[in-house]
Amino acid sequence: MLTGNPLDMLGQALQSGNLTTSVIAVIAYAILIAIIIGVFDYLFGWFERKVIARVQLRHGPTYVGKYGILQNLADLIKLLAKENVIPANADRIFFMTMMPSLLALSIFIVFLIPFSPTLQATNLGLGVLVIFTLLSFAPSMIFLAGHSTGNKFADISAQRSVIMLISYELPLILVLVAVAVMANGFNLSNIVNAQSPWYFIILMPLGFVIFFITMLAEMERPPFDIREADSELIAGWFTDYSSPYYALGLFLDYTRMLLGSLLISVIFLGGWLGPAILPPVAWLLIKAVVVAFFIVIVRVTTVRMRLNNLLRFGWIYLLPLSLINLVITYIVFIKGP
Amino acid sequence: MITRINVGPIHPGTHGVLRLLVDVDGDTIKKVEPHIGFLHRGVEKLVENRMYLQNPVYMEKLDYIAPLAFDELYVSAVEAAMGIPVKERAQYIRLIQLELQRIASHLLWLGTLANDVGQLFTIFMWAFSDRDKVLRLLEESAGTRMFYVNQRMGGLIRDQPPDFAEHAAPLLDYLDQRIAQFQEVLEKNPIFTERMKGVGVLNREDAIRFGVTGPTLRGSGVDYDTRSNQPYYVYKKLNFSPQTRGEGDAFARYKVRMLEMKESIKLVRNALKSMPEGDALGMQIRLINPVPKNRVVTVSRETPRGEGMMYMVADPQRPYRLSIRSPSFINLSVLNHIAKGHRFADLFAILASLDPVMADVDR
Repeated sequence: MLTGNPLDMLGQALQSGNLTTSVIAVIAYAILIAIIIGVFDYLFGWFERKVIARVQLRHGPTYVGKYGILQNLADLIKLLAKENVIPANADRIFFMTMMPSLLALSIFIVFLIPFSPTLQATNLGLGVLVIFTLLSFAPSMIFLAGHSTGNKFADISAQRSVIMLISYELPLILVLVAVAVMANGFNLSNIVNAQSPWYFIILMPLGFVIFFITMLAEMERPPFDIREADSELIAGWFTDYSSPYYALGLFLDYTRMLLGSLLISVIFLGGWLGPAILPPVAWLLIKAVVVAFFIVIVRVTTVRMRLNNLLRFGWIYLLPLSLINLVITYIVFIKGP
Repeated sequence: MITRINVGPIHPGTHGVLRLLVDVDGDTIKKVEPHIGFLHRGVEKLVENRMYLQNPVYMEKLDYIAPLAFDELYVSAVEAAMGIPVKERAQYIRLIQLELQRIASHLLWLGTLANDVGQLFTIFMWAFSDRDKVLRLLEESAGTRMFYVNQRMGGLIRDQPPDFAEHAAPLLDYLDQRIAQFQEVLEKNPIFTERMKGVGVLNREDAIRFGVTGPTLRGSGVDYDTRSNQPYYVYKKLNFSPQTRGEGDAFARYKVRMLEMKESIKLVRNALKSMPEGDALGMQIRLINPVPKNRVVTVSRETPRGEGMMYMVADPQRPYRLSIRSPSFINLSVLNHIAKGHRFADLFAILASLDPVMADVDR
């Protein structure tokens, strides 16, 4: 009954109504997603270092492995071998649980993203809403993570995290509403299928720009790395996280970057759509890498925004623009021809 | 609720070993209290126990970003005390070296400023690679890359190499182009201008009252530059004009330094063009056994960070007393005044715009 290559087989198993088959398939799919996240986190770490180095007239890692590809592994081993220091005045429970939970949350959201017409864990009717609701947990968890270390810099960073939330969340949701208007629903598969002849990046460029900017803020990427502001707050909320937790923090960073690029690709760049020379999953991952490249380029060229400027930027520019985007979308594509 | 935060001496935002105690109310700075002295070496006392020729080494470590400036200042003080005239060609070469040193110093400042407003080391690396090119040119002229010790009473230890002008011309053109590129990357970025404009405003009266000098003073609209107000060497002949901006904020100080780099490039070009032939060598070492003509001298020079001044009481063998006015120290004293009421994130933009060098502050 299952035919084709393993990916197709997995897809068919996921979509089959049979309970046992789908439970086994979901477990296999979870392992596949874990592998994808592991590999891409690792490669993003290397890729980001290389791209940044090239922009800065450096070589980046070259010594460990071919083109320094094993450098991050060496760093990881070093971090894991170090002593884990928990500050005396830290709230131990939150300190130890928040970083793994954040990572688990991000991985779970990646798990919910459809990778191809068949490769998806579940086809949620309100997929986008579920994903962005889960994403908005992160700032409060980061608040707890930072606040629980008992470090003043982490505390400032934690407060910033909450203030940031109110500046970008509204425009983000409004853009998603426009997307839902176009795709006739919040289902991620429908959103991808609705982009069949023209991707949403072409149909609503304004919405894409707003979405890209707010996703940068969501992922704490520069110019919105206000929480981690290294020249002000040393490392922000993970100033006091050492060794294994720091490694987890790096993993978290890259998982969120992967998550952000996947979401941008799915919602605006047509997800798995593409010529049939490559399997749909490959198209989605290629698009994600391209988006990640742009995220890194933004990181390396811009300066950090100030907190109050971000608030003003969010409410004075992004919010009205996202409303305009919604109105244009409604008039042109729903009421129009 | 007021929180007291300890920033530094080990912190990515404070250059060198500066410790700041910052009182913040939420995100607003209420008070900044600089604590200094982590790099105190007692240079003024060390100098008293060494002969005149041994001291330039210590002077260069005062401001390690622009070592030549203080080296030259000290040698000038000794020259003034001994009544030794500086040879004309040596004056030109010193001017060229000083201005190249100013460009190198400002390039380093630009990199650290970009870092402090949240750039991820990109401008820093670019500026550093350009600074290295300038240092290589200085190496050709002075002999070493960073700590030169190439000034002698009445001139230099060696003349410029004959092909120096040919090597300098393309670099100067390149720098002109690069500075324009830096300005394009930074000033066309609204985030950068928004972070710099209206931040850390030091008005004209306060600037004079605090006694700040250099780009910090000129950014507040005071047209005072030692190079034009108490001209030394050949600055007057080369049509030097000081750069000023009226706003007094961090952006004005940034702008003044950028314009100063361009002015320095112009000065070096002019100096290379009109440099006379002849001898630039200073006194031979065995001849230096001077008898002071003036027992007390005060010499001031425009270092990249402001007006550096040396007050020297001369003895036949060694300086009896050498008092150094370091521009960084006095510029840093203004920090609390201009940072009050701003956001915590602005503190580092303001600090970078003052450009203190801690070795110079602590002496």
